[in-house]
Amino acid sequence: MRRRAGVGAIHKQKVEAEKYKDKGIEIQDSQFEQMTKNMEVFRENLEEFAAKHKNEIKKNAQFRRQFQEMCAVIGVDPLASGKGFWSVLGMGDFYYELGVQVVEVCLAANHSTGGLMELEELRKRLVRARGQNAKHQEITNEDILIATKKLKIFGNGFVVYPIGRDRYMVQSIPGELSLHETSVLEVAAKQPEGCITEELLQKELNWNSFRSNQAIEKVVGSGLAWVDDQGEVKTYWFPSLFPGRTIQQR
Amino acid sequence: MDDFDWPWEYNFPPFFTIQLHGKTKELQLSVWTNLVLKYFRHHRESQYTIGDEIVLFSNQQIQRKLSNDGILLILEELEKSGNAAPVDKKRLQWEIYWHPLDEWGNIIYQWASDNGMTNTVCTLYEISQGESSANEEFFGLDQSVLVKALKTLQAKQKCELMSFDDNEGVKFF
Repeated sequence: MRRRAGVGAIHKQKVEAEKYKDKGIEIQDSQFEQMTKNMEVFRENLEEFAAKHKNEIKKNAQFRRQFQEMCAVIGVDPLASGKGFWSVLGMGDFYYELGVQVVEVCLAANHSTGGLMELEELRKRLVRARGQNAKHQEITNEDILIATKKLKIFGNGFVVYPIGRDRYMVQSIPGELSLHETSVLEVAAKQPEGCITEELLQKELNWNSFRSNQAIEKVVGSGLAWVDDQGEVKTYWFPSLFPGRTIQQR
Repeated sequence: MDDFDWPWEYNFPPFFTIQLHGKTKELQLSVWTNLVLKYFRHHRESQYTIGDEIVLFSNQQIQRKLSNDGILLILEELEKSGNAAPVDKKRLQWEIYWHPLDEWGNIIYQWASDNGMTNTVCTLYEISQGESSANEEFFGLDQSVLVKALKTLQAKQKCELMSFDDNEGVKFF
């Protein structure tokens, strides 16, 4: 006899479906629980690892970077560490200290650089400023980038601009650079002496004369570039990108 | 001459163009005034006439030189701080004092009293060329600058300038 699809059957199907659903949620929950547990274990291990290799992390730049990456993956910020268990590491201190030094070095050079400095130069100055005490502590450009990120809380007085491949400019005077200005910087950074002409801007950026003129006026007006009118055409020079400035110091 | 320690700006081409932007110009002038004093001090010179071509204002290597107007601007800046003064009315001929005159006066007076030369008469030659001042900063100092420095002392009643025969002398009190 053919069974007819009755209300009972429909009802039964519905109940089964719900059961499956419940089971699914149950499995999901248990999986999640498992994951959470795993994460907990991982964090614990990471903490243990951090405490154990504290000195290594502070000293060895490569190690430090890998550790940073590891933390980033699980969403832990060792810098937000003031009080938490991360303070065993003192890593927060490391970057805060570096941040303060970044400010000091930048401010000390502001008068001659117009408030801009290349990251690489900043690093060299930092290493020199840190002196003997921290001699064994290598500082990488990445460390400085991390430290400067923390300086954002001071408003726009400290900004890092990328200027082409693996090159950065650190700005340490208030006032954000416009897109125009950073484009000009990027072009200037590509020139061996850090000097540009209006024509060069027009060629490199596909700008018309009005636009490049305005951008130049802007960088000159904010003290970032100097004018030289003794060449064939007017040239504009960035002290922050002028190689002769740092050569003499060594 | 070769051992002079030029600042990096000396090789920075726009350094030789007076900047128009306020803050940059201010910075530029302060680097220039320091450099001028350091240069004249290094060479122990005090006289300069605008138009004379000297290495200080002209960098052959990068083919840049400061215009006469630019030089005048810097000298006038130095004048404000008492580190330079024009000698002629056209403001072409200048004296550069790497110490302001009254400071020079004090330095010389200190030397005189340290060496027990007060209340005796000594010649100007003795002060700027004599054996006992060979290690002093004012050794070889321009005669006209020396007299002006001593005059600031005289105004403070610390010495008296006098001339005898064709020699000039001074008595410190």
